[in-house]
Amino acid sequence: MTGLVARPDRVRLAGQRQQSLALVHFRLMVVMLLFLGVVGVIALRLLYVSIFVGGGASTPAGDGLLPARGDIVDRNGVPLATTIQAWSIGLHPRQLVNDAMEVSEKLAQLMPEHSAAQYFAMLHSNKSFIYLRRRATPELVAQVNAIGEPALALAQEPERLYPQTTLAAHVLGWTDIDGRGVFGMEKVLNNRLLDPAKRGQPVALSIDTRVQAALEEELSAAKDKFTAAAGSALVMDVHTGEVIAMVSLPTFNPNDPGATGIDSLRNNVTQSVYELGSTFKAITLANAIDSGVVTSMAKKYDATAPLQIGRFKIHDEEPAGRWLDIPEMFTKSSNIVTARIADELGQSRETAMFKKLGFGAPPEIELTAKAKPLWPTYWGRTTVMTVGFGHGIAVTPLNLAISYAALVNGGTYHPATLIKRGPDNPVPTGHRVISEATSARIRQLLRLVVLPAADGTGKKADVPGFRLGGKTGTAEKAQGGGYNKKLNVSTFAGVFPMDDPKYMIMMTLDGPHATADTYGWTTAAWVVGPAIGRTISRIGPLLGVIPDVSHDVDESDLLPLLWHPGIAKPKLTGAAAAAHDKD
Amino acid sequence: MKMEPVTAHKGRFRRGKPPRLGRADRSPLGRWFWEIDLVLLALVTVLIGIGLIAVAAASPAAGVRYSDGAVVFPPLYYFYRQCLWLAIGIPVMFVVSMLPKEMARRLSLLGAAVFIVALAATPIIGHQVNGAKRWIGVGMAQIQPSEFLKPLYVVALAWLLSLKQHDRTLPVVPISLVGTAVIAGILMKQPDFGQTIMFLLMWTALLTLSGAPMKGLAALAGLGVAAVVSAYLFYSVARLRIDNFLFQSGDTYQVDSARRTLMHGGLFGTGPGAGTMKFKLPEPHTDYIFSVIGEEFGLIACLAIALIYVAIIVRVFVKLLDEEDSFILLAAAGLATQFGAQAIINMAVNLQLAPSKGMTLPFISYGGSSMVALSMGFGLLLAFTRRNPYLTRSPYVVTWNKPR
Repeated sequence: MTGLVARPDRVRLAGQRQQSLALVHFRLMVVMLLFLGVVGVIALRLLYVSIFVGGGASTPAGDGLLPARGDIVDRNGVPLATTIQAWSIGLHPRQLVNDAMEVSEKLAQLMPEHSAAQYFAMLHSNKSFIYLRRRATPELVAQVNAIGEPALALAQEPERLYPQTTLAAHVLGWTDIDGRGVFGMEKVLNNRLLDPAKRGQPVALSIDTRVQAALEEELSAAKDKFTAAAGSALVMDVHTGEVIAMVSLPTFNPNDPGATGIDSLRNNVTQSVYELGSTFKAITLANAIDSGVVTSMAKKYDATAPLQIGRFKIHDEEPAGRWLDIPEMFTKSSNIVTARIADELGQSRETAMFKKLGFGAPPEIELTAKAKPLWPTYWGRTTVMTVGFGHGIAVTPLNLAISYAALVNGGTYHPATLIKRGPDNPVPTGHRVISEATSARIRQLLRLVVLPAADGTGKKADVPGFRLGGKTGTAEKAQGGGYNKKLNVSTFAGVFPMDDPKYMIMMTLDGPHATADTYGWTTAAWVVGPAIGRTISRIGPLLGVIPDVSHDVDESDLLPLLWHPGIAKPKLTGAAAAAHDKD
Repeated sequence: MKMEPVTAHKGRFRRGKPPRLGRADRSPLGRWFWEIDLVLLALVTVLIGIGLIAVAAASPAAGVRYSDGAVVFPPLYYFYRQCLWLAIGIPVMFVVSMLPKEMARRLSLLGAAVFIVALAATPIIGHQVNGAKRWIGVGMAQIQPSEFLKPLYVVALAWLLSLKQHDRTLPVVPISLVGTAVIAGILMKQPDFGQTIMFLLMWTALLTLSGAPMKGLAALAGLGVAAVVSAYLFYSVARLRIDNFLFQSGDTYQVDSARRTLMHGGLFGTGPGAGTMKFKLPEPHTDYIFSVIGEEFGLIACLAIALIYVAIIVRVFVKLLDEEDSFILLAAAGLATQFGAQAIINMAVNLQLAPSKGMTLPFISYGGSSMVALSMGFGLLLAFTRRNPYLTRSPYVVTWNKPR
């Protein structure tokens, strides 16, 4: 009986059911409001974040994305040095699981730089970690991974990459295994490139990769043709001191500097000092004009016979056998006349000018590896004379480039820089070296050396329309305390366009050897002059110098001073012409 | 009188049949379309669309992150995989949403039993990923049982609690507590802290909805606080996580990069494919996809996504106001709560409002198991909210003589 009777609890009245349903509906709305509230908080947080914490730019964001080391780019933003995540393959010998023989054979197959026996020795060495390869290709990493040996560690590490390989190698330098710059601009800019606040922004150098490539190619072609030991070349803005291109040969690959001999790592533009010969005549002449020693371009000096001073005899390569005026002695590059002018100047005025041009110290540039010019230890009368035409004093090519820029830009000295000029690196005021008037005269004279009509020593470098002016210089190579009579250091230092000087260009070949088409000559006129001409015709348009044959330096007062013996000069050919064109 | 040929009504009638999906369409598809909650269907379609775009945006970042020397993932690898998962998930949702409510309930109960067994077996036969065993199966057919169990558990719990309507003497709350505790225990063994929290949350939510007394709920809340405090004091992993969240101590790389990514785009975003911070993000395609959306499409897009989730919840809850069957009420509300809570937790983690947990953003995050499981859950929700729109409509909102 009781089994049929429902327990009172189980009985649900319609009213109760309705009541509990109402409660459920009420709770439904409560939960919904809870949801709305939480989503409201999320929406408020989103708004708060977007309004108060700010957008992307102002957050200290990025440092997860910042490169481990800042990039270096050229003046137009072309990457020169960048940091990539590269694969490294390492070895933890203590974690070896598989058969060592088998693993070492597979490793030797994939990475043949070591033999299987060497790998076997590594696997049994007591070291905790050995690098097998850095900057490995992904394919190789995949193959090494496929060996399936836990002791082989594959990791991605920041690596410095120089995508242009050898281009501007000496300017850039390289970094050590820990990513610190040890040479070149990598060393100079080390702190700037590692600074977390700045390393997101690349550093722009003053280098223009296009000009750099052209200069490297032409210098390297000349160096190979004349089998020279070394070479250096430079293009520099004469008004700002910015180095547009800087080449030192032999070169190296900064991606793997260890693979090259130590000699190739030296930057000949700043670390090597040379006696740069007749290129110094422009400095001596500028000094003489500025200090009133030479008052007229028509003033004549005796060059009839070699100059005998005590035990020393100064002679010209091609004796003129007559008195020469200033344009004549400069275009013919007369040592005798320069010595006479230097003698008149005297030691104090000569050294004062050298000091003003920065020859008293290593060239002013950011690079840390640079040499100090070598000065004569004893200044006798002959020293003053020989130094006047660049013998007995050794400077770096960059020293000379800076001084030429000062001579032609209106007479103001500016230090050289490898960092692009801008608000962060403004052009310093500099100091006056010579007067505007003297600078204008030097421009005339330098142009005259190259001007074909004047038949000077630099005419082989002339490119129609580019108004190049410059001076050749050939000196015997200093070797073991004396001079090597057979080897020259041949230099051309020039500026273009000379009617409105913009860029200084120079090339130096150290120890060139003559070829058949130079008729035995290794003087600057023969070995560097043509290379300068080719380079200018390539880089001039890149630098915005438009060839224009209708403009030139006004030489109307100097050309009549050049005396050409015989109106109908016979056209010289072959070796005779070669003899005529020596330095 | 001659009959007009049928062909004269070309376009309106398909060879004598009424127009497809119209009121007169008596086919199963037609009836489904008539009964289904079209607003809900539209919302979830929009969400899936957004999800595909977001996974396409996050896929290259995830590809870069998971590529190594041996395996290289193509940039859109995860996008194509997601398309594949959708190709499975959408039919699942469609079929489940077509089930009659009775059958849906029975299958859910069966499924819940199966997946509890699978979950229990996971620590024994599962695969270890990132230090936790959460997956079972082989190759492509790997599944995460906890993901599938979530919606099925909700339905089972709803059924259990609704039994009280029929017999007040049944000890439904203690039974549900035991079931939940067993599941939580298995999950903590994996360990999977996030899912445990999720199951406890579901249980609390369903108890609340079923009309449990406020006193009991307050006691539960107090217990929850006490549990968190004791976990902080005695459980080192929890202490680390909480310290990390509250004081930004320890390794905050994940949350820091998530914040940076989210803020990088500003209000309007960097534009599709233009994001950069996403490449530094761990799990850009799953846990932190909301940050990727923030970077590429802007914080306004994030706000819009949050609104879509709210719209889904509000739509379900408001619709349930005139539902009288307590099982349907609890099941649908529970499924919506599970769906919404998961979305909210994920967004809160991305915005640093909650400590980091492995929780995906429903229908937006990449993931095979989670996508199919969510499709199944949403299919159940659609099935339970399916009904004749005129049947129990409030007389106040009915407009007669006006075509629908």
